[in-house]
Amino acid sequence: MPAGYVAQIVEKNVFGCATELVLDLPRGFEAHPGQFLHVRCGGDGRILRRPFSLTVSQRGELALLVRPAGEGSRWLCARRVGEELDFLGPLGRGFSILDAGEHVLVAGGAGIAPLRFLALDMRKRKLRPSLCWGMENEEDYGTLPEILAGECDLSLATRDGSAGFEGTALDLLFSQARTESAAIYACGPRDMLSGMARWLGEAGRERAQVSVEERMACGVGACRGCAVPVTDAGATYAAACREGPVFFARELDWERM
Amino acid sequence: MEAGLRTELAGIRMQNPVMVCSGTWGNGREYAEWIDPGALGGIITKSVTLRPCPGNPPPRIWETPSGMLNSIGLENRGLAAFLEEDLPWIAGFGVPVFVNVAGFSEEEYAEVAAEVCASGLAAAVELNISCPNVKKGGLHFSSSHEDAARMVSRVRERADLPVFVKLSPRLNDLKGMCAAVARAGADGLSLVNTIPAMSIDVERAVPRLGNVTGGLSGPAMHPVAVLAVWEAYQSVGIPIVGMGGIWGWEDAVEMIMAGATAVAVGTVNFVDPGAPLAVVEGIRGFMTRKGVARVGELVGLAHRGGFRDEGKGRAPGSG
Repeated sequence: MPAGYVAQIVEKNVFGCATELVLDLPRGFEAHPGQFLHVRCGGDGRILRRPFSLTVSQRGELALLVRPAGEGSRWLCARRVGEELDFLGPLGRGFSILDAGEHVLVAGGAGIAPLRFLALDMRKRKLRPSLCWGMENEEDYGTLPEILAGECDLSLATRDGSAGFEGTALDLLFSQARTESAAIYACGPRDMLSGMARWLGEAGRERAQVSVEERMACGVGACRGCAVPVTDAGATYAAACREGPVFFARELDWERM
Repeated sequence: MEAGLRTELAGIRMQNPVMVCSGTWGNGREYAEWIDPGALGGIITKSVTLRPCPGNPPPRIWETPSGMLNSIGLENRGLAAFLEEDLPWIAGFGVPVFVNVAGFSEEEYAEVAAEVCASGLAAAVELNISCPNVKKGGLHFSSSHEDAARMVSRVRERADLPVFVKLSPRLNDLKGMCAAVARAGADGLSLVNTIPAMSIDVERAVPRLGNVTGGLSGPAMHPVAVLAVWEAYQSVGIPIVGMGGIWGWEDAVEMIMAGATAVAVGTVNFVDPGAPLAVVEGIRGFMTRKGVARVGELVGLAHRGGFRDEGKGRAPGSG
């Protein structure tokens, strides 16, 4: 059951452009990969919570992996070990691990967060996913790829070619040979997700799940602020916070995204 | 719940004066996982329209200093689904349900209000003639005192429950508007809706909201709402539900002292689902501290010179 919590930050690691905050969560706190915490961030005049996907640390503890993008995430990255975070969670619908011969994770930037958590769940089921992860340049990664290489079949992409494939995570995905029936799990910028949805075609969208990032107010489905267009004729929009943030690619209306 | 917090609003008995604002609490299901709806003074449901309404294109929200903009655009599943699935469920908690009604013509408002009354499950109708987020309808119906009064009369003819009228703070003559809708048969006022507002992304030079304009809510607009309640209290005798940026019990008490018989908390629900009940507890604590026996004694108190009689300005035992 989601609830309100105050949890202490017990460990902080900086990996390139992203900061990992490991949380001391109460016994019995259970979450699925793709779910998020709705965190109260400080800063003058900021009132709304900010959603952050749950990730896991190297030891498998639940954590946040935050890239400073706006005021809320900058505030969060500046927290220190011992400080407490006020959040609601876990919220939203997470990923479903499909019955497939091949599992491909596609991460753009900080979109790695929920996918690292998913990779852990897959390993527990004796699955070994492959992961395509894209960043702007080599410095953005920090030492995280070295750790991840032990957790999945990792390949990297950078826009400037400073590490791995030259291009985006999506370019990297396109460049690799895949079986038709591969299940795809993606999290990253909107452009990346919509580019992937177009590339996949109708059949591929059945086996692809995407985690969308939206501005949210309530985080529980009440305000309808984080609307994303869906293909379901009866619905028109879904609330990313409750019906998502993970959707099957076929559920979203990419023309209107 | 002891007697002190009980109140009565247009004949509707409430266990406390704290409700939740329309549109900030869905139809209760999302927040029933977080707090007991049965502990609220009342529930104001999300705007319902005759037919399903998809709402506005995203982005629909943007945070502003101490506030937020929204342009949800009345997204709802329509009257039939509301009456069949939502209203019976939320009415089951035994607290008064005020059904917020919106539409795109006078006939639609009247039709929806009539059906809501016929359901036997609602306590009151709240007419949303102040939504800033729909081009046709919404604010259009309060563009003049005559239009608003005609709307209220049309609904009044077909509604056998108390009718509350929710107004925008952006009116040239709020007092005149309050008087006009009261004369037309409104049983109460809900003050206020969000303030029409917008924000522009300067890097891209485009509006932040898909709908271009939206409504401002949150602490930033609270003083605007207090003034509206203050002015309405001076101009009409019908009860007022005060709403707009209430974040804690002080804001609620402020509204009551400005003239509100009850209050509704809105945007703070998004941040703290427990806020409405914290406001109830805060009012209770304030009344104890001030030696106020019934919350009704606080209604409009700031118009009457404040705490000065019978030692109520002093803490109990202070002298």
